[in-house]
Amino acid sequence: MSLYVLEGLRPWVIQRVSAVYIVLFIVYAASCYFTADAIAYESWKNWLYNPFNTTVVGIFVIALLFHAWIGMRDVVLDYVHNIMFRIFILAILIGILIGSGLWVFRILLLSVVSIG
Amino acid sequence: MKFKIYRFNPENDTKPHVQDYELNDIEPGTMLLAALLRIKDEQDQTLSFRRSCGEGVCGSDGMNINGVNGLACITPLDDLKQPIEVKPLPGLPVIRDLIIDMDQFYKQYRAVKPYLIVNDPMPEVELPQTPEQRERLDGLYECVLCACCSTACPSFWWNPDKFLGPAALLQASRFIEDSRDQDFEKRLEELEGPFKLFRCHTIMNCVHVCPKGLNPTKAIGRIKAKMVTRSL
Repeated sequence: MSLYVLEGLRPWVIQRVSAVYIVLFIVYAASCYFTADAIAYESWKNWLYNPFNTTVVGIFVIALLFHAWIGMRDVVLDYVHNIMFRIFILAILIGILIGSGLWVFRILLLSVVSIG
Repeated sequence: MKFKIYRFNPENDTKPHVQDYELNDIEPGTMLLAALLRIKDEQDQTLSFRRSCGEGVCGSDGMNINGVNGLACITPLDDLKQPIEVKPLPGLPVIRDLIIDMDQFYKQYRAVKPYLIVNDPMPEVELPQTPEQRERLDGLYECVLCACCSTACPSFWWNPDKFLGPAALLQASRFIEDSRDQDFEKRLEELEGPFKLFRCHTIMNCVHVCPKGLNPTKAIGRIKAKMVTRSL
């Protein structure tokens, strides 16, 4: 895999598909929020324990990470022309995104394990 | 009528400056090129700019007029706010006054192989097209390579050596769409990668400034759609 992970067409398609999924998820999440009986930690935890919700949240996080990577990568490719500095920024970006992703999946896992 | 014109002569100037000019007795309907020619004839023969046909066909006199790229020969003075600010097309090196070095622009144009590639033996008569096949080239073949679009594109300013720019991509689309061309696969393949095509962020400055009313953004979209279809 090259420095620009995913190259040209693939990221362009992923960016669009992920954008559609993110919008659909936001609509679903907002509808759940506004129709919930109570807005509290326990009800949120129960909502997340539902296998359907665990799945859609998991996919949402993946979509968001890819979308963020492609968007930020595009900004770096446009503006940062020094190749070493570009690699440095992209490496930091990947680290932050992977770290954030693992953190969210830990939360998802804990919410399932602690109730189960 | 007042003009503010960008001046730079590398033989004498260390940096560019703006020079004021004034013209009287301008007839309604006069184009900017005619005014520039009058300034050159009557007031300052050192003022340099490219021009040729004077009819918007050759694409020589592309310049930045009141902040918007366009062809001086088809820009009526009546539509312009005064003082009329005239600068060279942005994003490419200035050779002198309103004349820019278009090497980078032509390099990207050549990179898309702007000619028909036919691998089969050439037929004895011409390569025929149906009216529908010919129609697919409308909006693509009319480009006069004035560079107004590419030099208005921020993505081209940022990466002029890597991003092909709207003008070259419009030409790429023109040959990708041509039913007679037999290099379709390779043409699409060569546009892959993060820079050549995909630096286009649909900013659409190219569409806004094109003096021929063409839509390079749409042409780029058609190339992307073809790439997606091909990859499926």
